[in-house]
Amino acid sequence: MATNRTYNRRNIFTVFSIVLLISLVLVGRLTYIMVYRADYYGVRAQQLHERERPIKAERGIIYDRNGIEIASNKPVCTISVIHSQIKEPETVIKLLSETLGISEDKVRKRVEKVSSIERIKANVDKETADIIRNYDLDGVMVDEDYKRYYPYGSLASKVIGFTGSDNQGIIGLEVEYDKYLQGIDGTILTLTTAQGLEIENAAEDRVEPMEGNSLTLSLDVNIQQYCEQAAKKVMEEKQAKSVKMILMNPQNGEIYAMVNYPEFDLNSPYTLLNQDESQATTLTDKEKNNLLNEMWRNACISDTYEPGSTFKTVTAAAALEEGVVKLTDNFYCPGYKIVEDRKIRCHKVGGHGAETFIDGIKNSCNPVFIEIGARVGATNMYKHFKKLGLFSRTSIDVPGEANSIMHKVDDIGAVELATISFGQSFQITPLQLLRAASAIVNGGNLITPHFGVSITNPDTGNVQKLKYDVSDGAVSKTTSDTMKSLLEAVVSDGSGKRAYLPGFRIGGKTATSEKLPRGTGKYISSFIGFAPADNPQVIAIVLIDEPVGIYYGGTIAAPVISGVFDNVLPYLGVEENYSEQEIEEYGIGSFTVPDFLGKSKDEANQLIKVHDFGEIYYIGEGDTVAEQFPLSGETVDKNSDLILYLD
Amino acid sequence: MARSESRSITQKKKRYSYYDYSLLFLTLFLVCFGLVMIYSTSSFNAQRMFGDSTHFVKQQGLAVVLGIAAMLVISKIDYRIFLKKVPILKIRFVTLIYIGAVSLQIAVLIFGREVKGAKRWIDLGFISFQPSDLSKIATILFVAYVVNLAPRRLDKITGFFRIAVYMAPLLGLIAKENLSTAIVIAGILVSICFVASRKKLYFIIVGILCVAVGSLYVFGVGYRSERVDVWRNVETHPKGYQILQGLFAIASGGIFGTGLGQSMQKLGFIPEAHNDMIFTIICEELGLFGAIAVILLFVLLLWRLFIIAINAPDLFGGLIAVGIMAHIAIQVILNIAVVSNSIPSTGIPLPFISYGGTSVSVLLAEIGVALSVSNQIRTER
Repeated sequence: MATNRTYNRRNIFTVFSIVLLISLVLVGRLTYIMVYRADYYGVRAQQLHERERPIKAERGIIYDRNGIEIASNKPVCTISVIHSQIKEPETVIKLLSETLGISEDKVRKRVEKVSSIERIKANVDKETADIIRNYDLDGVMVDEDYKRYYPYGSLASKVIGFTGSDNQGIIGLEVEYDKYLQGIDGTILTLTTAQGLEIENAAEDRVEPMEGNSLTLSLDVNIQQYCEQAAKKVMEEKQAKSVKMILMNPQNGEIYAMVNYPEFDLNSPYTLLNQDESQATTLTDKEKNNLLNEMWRNACISDTYEPGSTFKTVTAAAALEEGVVKLTDNFYCPGYKIVEDRKIRCHKVGGHGAETFIDGIKNSCNPVFIEIGARVGATNMYKHFKKLGLFSRTSIDVPGEANSIMHKVDDIGAVELATISFGQSFQITPLQLLRAASAIVNGGNLITPHFGVSITNPDTGNVQKLKYDVSDGAVSKTTSDTMKSLLEAVVSDGSGKRAYLPGFRIGGKTATSEKLPRGTGKYISSFIGFAPADNPQVIAIVLIDEPVGIYYGGTIAAPVISGVFDNVLPYLGVEENYSEQEIEEYGIGSFTVPDFLGKSKDEANQLIKVHDFGEIYYIGEGDTVAEQFPLSGETVDKNSDLILYLD
Repeated sequence: MARSESRSITQKKKRYSYYDYSLLFLTLFLVCFGLVMIYSTSSFNAQRMFGDSTHFVKQQGLAVVLGIAAMLVISKIDYRIFLKKVPILKIRFVTLIYIGAVSLQIAVLIFGREVKGAKRWIDLGFISFQPSDLSKIATILFVAYVVNLAPRRLDKITGFFRIAVYMAPLLGLIAKENLSTAIVIAGILVSICFVASRKKLYFIIVGILCVAVGSLYVFGVGYRSERVDVWRNVETHPKGYQILQGLFAIASGGIFGTGLGQSMQKLGFIPEAHNDMIFTIICEELGLFGAIAVILLFVLLLWRLFIIAINAPDLFGGLIAVGIMAHIAIQVILNIAVVSNSIPSTGIPLPFISYGGTSVSVLLAEIGVALSVSNQIRTER
């Protein structure tokens, strides 16, 4: 056997030294990485471990003018899947598609996508989310979240609008005030494993979300509700296609109500109205989209129409401004007027005969307005249109506003001027007309119609008042005063008399516009009214689209406004002020209820005769009054009902 | 000769015998440290995959117990038993071991279980093992034996080639499926021959030649090799993911580390962190100090093997000790160099620490042989 020689030992030492040397080099290399490259790689590692999870900011609340919430938030859940943690993909796909009502293919696509986290569905209500949570599926995440919630459902749906799944406004005020309402999302920074699991007890960095600012509107929930009911009622009665109504303060442009009936449910904005099941399945996506857009359309501001006779207020104001007509000027209406080669008819076939300008307005007589329109002339007419804002959008704070469609001033011949004078051959939006009418009755101030009043920061409580343009001199004060009394006359003693409301001074103008193309028998009945006539606090316009049967604005549209005013005026604090004549005619007044108790039926009847009761109801079979309502000694309005319990 | 006389004296008088307890202690310490680190690195994945956070540490623990038992038994047997002839077959033990290793390598190519595209495992039902680990110890013993037959021949390059030819069947079989093990075995072969040789010139010339060819390959045509490409563009290459994650882990450690068990990178970012990449987690959790301490432990272990090698009673014993030292040194160096992206990536476990039952039990058996060599050292008392 060979021996271990000295040179062997030396060689062994050499080998060991080489090993030692390389070890030192490696220690150097490690030191370099761990000390000098620590920042570089360390930061990258940190980024790898950290996951940013957004915390959705609560969207700002929308209040009505009295501080009632009309758009708020409620907690909902978001269902998502984490690809790497799913153990039983088939079960997950099946259960999720069943519970959430999404097709299996859609769920499968998201489940099988290799990504860190994939959202299956947002805005899932809490009950459904709890069902999914109870399945206890690996890799399925249920995150709580907020969803926009509209407590009044369909109230002013086309005005308020709704939001999408990412908390962004889709239509209406939600879009217009999106940047105020949105708020700033917060984030949670957590450490996660490679599978994306959050590590418990790891230090969390948290950036709190900033709640969105709240918005206060001029809209009044009670008025809006009342107007919607009135619109619904007339729409059903007249089997109309739709009813639009706007109530506004003509002095400052604050809108109290804007109705586009039928409204849709803001809490499920993708559900089509009046849709049966078979239709739902046959619609293509594009068709459904078109129908939805149609349903969401705010026709009050987005649709134009031929205003018809309500526009005579503008013609009359222009004529008064130009001084080409006096109230006492005499006209003659034979039932038509020949303009150039055309014979333009008045709505009254036999003609109104001889009449003053006041009568002309009361009768809504076309020949009178053709005459005064011709006196004003196209150029001057357009000058006043411009002053009254009929060539520009009203700048209302709701998106999607349309503009008027007018003749070019050079193209206006005598016939065109004649038709313009009574509100035909051009189109404007209802809101444009309402704004022009407001300027005419408020002393000549062209206001900006609006909903937004103020924006409040929920943290600091800072309130930012929103400001809107007002330009004066649209018409002179004198013209305004004259117009107010003329329009009051229309209601008290003219074509608008069905809008008459005892105790209130109401001014207004009716219209019946035949829809284009002519001759189809489709009409828009409208009425524009304001009260009190001497100092207007509220101005309203109603448009009934395609009523069936009687379609005259004076007959069907005017009573809608009087009904609304009857409730809204006292609500707004405008007090009744009856004239002697009214008290007589409408039995206004009150009396003290006498005591019926213990009286026989005959005695009671004698007593009833001397008092101004309305309906009398007897309840029970006996002959003696045991109870009465109202109680004796109470002061009640004339024509109040009386209930007597007989024993 | 005086030397052989004195050797015969030690053989007869056991009271002069020596036993390297330092080596034993260092080995046990490293193995235990390895178990701790395997638990730290594998518990998360074990919990995730098997629902039992101790899954890997239990398996490794079993192999460690078996390995320690084998080590203690082997250490008490005189290593010269390998030179004895097997009774019936009339060949030496060491030759039998070598033939056995070659047969197992052939067997693994035929019956082997394929894991990740390479056949490296033999599955006996109750136990499965990697024959390439056994081949390492076979190489150490067989090369030491062949060199010992005629050490002078190694003074010429032809002598080295002769031994290389002996080793060629085993080396070729291993290289086919497992290049990194082949590198380790080649390294052991060269180290033993180097120690036995009196002339260094051809080693130096061949060494320089290897470095030159290697550099040419890496910096010249190496871009064709994915391995080199990954090494040079570890941050952008898609296959550099594991190494890059390892670098993140090492760098996250800083000087004092994040603390035992506090690694982030082991949470799935480094795949199978308890295997070859375990050193990166040691760096992350124990910092630069911990890493240097581990390297120092290995250096001390190698130092003890060095002491045994130079004091070995004969050339055979010395060469065995050198082979074991070379084996451990090469694996430690390659492993750390790979995980720190100092060289192109290749899969080599960190001795005693990385997860792997065959590896740790074979290494323990090897230490047993080294202890057996130390046990034959004559103390001059």
